[in-house]
Amino acid sequence: MLEISHLTKIYKGRAVVDDFSLKVDAPIFGFLGQNGAGKTTVMKMIVGLLEPTSGEISLDGAPSASAASKRRIGYMPETPYFYENMTGLEFLKFCDELDGSARGPAAGARKGHYEALLRRVGIYEARNAEVRTYSKGMRQRLGFAQALVNDPEYLFLDEPLDGLDPVGRREMKETMLELKKEGRRIFLNTHILYDAEEICDEMGVVHEGKLKYAGPVKEFAAGKPLEERFMEAVGAREKAAPQAHTSPRA
Amino acid sequence: MRNIWIIAKTTFRTETRSKLLYGILIFAFLYLFFEIFLAELVLRELPMVKSFGLAGIYFFNAIVALFLGTTSFFRDVERKVVYFILAKPVSRAQFLLGKFFGLCLVLLLATAILGAGYLGLVAYEHGGFDGLGLLAIFMQYLEMALFIAFALFVSTFSSSLLSIVYTSAVFFIGHVVSQLVTDARQIGLKGVQLLLVQALYYVFPNLEKFDVRTLAIHDVAMPFHAVALAFAYAAAYGAFLLSAAIWIFDKKEL
Repeated sequence: MLEISHLTKIYKGRAVVDDFSLKVDAPIFGFLGQNGAGKTTVMKMIVGLLEPTSGEISLDGAPSASAASKRRIGYMPETPYFYENMTGLEFLKFCDELDGSARGPAAGARKGHYEALLRRVGIYEARNAEVRTYSKGMRQRLGFAQALVNDPEYLFLDEPLDGLDPVGRREMKETMLELKKEGRRIFLNTHILYDAEEICDEMGVVHEGKLKYAGPVKEFAAGKPLEERFMEAVGAREKAAPQAHTSPRA
Repeated sequence: MRNIWIIAKTTFRTETRSKLLYGILIFAFLYLFFEIFLAELVLRELPMVKSFGLAGIYFFNAIVALFLGTTSFFRDVERKVVYFILAKPVSRAQFLLGKFFGLCLVLLLATAILGAGYLGLVAYEHGGFDGLGLLAIFMQYLEMALFIAFALFVSTFSSSLLSIVYTSAVFFIGHVVSQLVTDARQIGLKGVQLLLVQALYYVFPNLEKFDVRTLAIHDVAMPFHAVALAFAYAAAYGAFLLSAAIWIFDKKEL
């Protein structure tokens, strides 16, 4: 279980994440918010890229940024960048070696694992091509593949569907549902409500660094179109519907 | 240690695929090749051939070190490749040290290629095997490794362009700082003024410790203790720079 407790991040005197608490045990959790709401900052703190100003984050009771937790995590950043003159296969091997999975006698057998991953995300044919030749969609897929390279129990994906064409989006969502069946937990940042509605079991809504809602998707929608409820939750329709507020369930 | 090696290996692999690096090395080889003709027409004497050869290696290695030190680390951070790496069980110190050793390996390759060209040139000009020249090239390599450490240190808090400016300035100061103290004493500076000049001497790297080209050109052996001292100085100053770089990078918001 992912537990975030009173998490705060202050940048230049401004709280971009403000006393944020959340417990996630759902197979696929969608984290929704407008651009700049604080979703990426929270995810970066979970995976240890950013130090919280205050608060704690734990994964099954251990600090999420510890080396032991990181071995159980797969992370895909928003708009992934790579070493442009490495091939897709080389990049996967590099990430796997850093994780420690490729060490020891099993190292030689890992090539089959990388190829299977690249097949799974649909860029196997380009495995020996340099990343500089990849399209934006192919880069997203490679970013997704590297998040899976260490067979993680937890996946943290920051806008994984950005830059993908409709077929790519469908394939990626199907892969996420397959991963869910395999027993992996997925924490997904997105600002596309339709995606959250389609694949997430639970969702959280963040606005200006504060958690506005956390819980089942259907409960959040409460019979209304998700977009309408989202607008209410982030206060975009306060004038039109001043009574619409939800409480964090953390 | 394992993570440092993996990052060093990857840095070496990605940087040795850079077209710019090959461009610099091609120009360096053209320079050495051109020197064969120059030797026949103008230089005539072996010390002149050695002098031009060693200076050429120094110049082109300095360009390689400046290019690698100021761009490689900064690019990884700026383009966020570092996100993939630091989300794995890798510390920031391991990443930075891996970059340093990887860049030093690239520099070693460039030095080895140019050094082989130089030794071949001297042998071709009937100079035999130039052991002292090889020592001078090794000392130049130490200086350039220190140069990379400084460039990495500056890259942790500055842009790539400013890193080039700062590193070049320190490179220049590092070569005049020991002379500056001598001159200050000769013109009779005292008190606070002399202390300030001496402070400069201790703060900036004294790169003259690595310059043994003149000795090598004239076949004068360098005492072992001087080589050992220069090596220890490079290790100590380099360790200080890298420690400071890690300290700053640890506090950097990615």
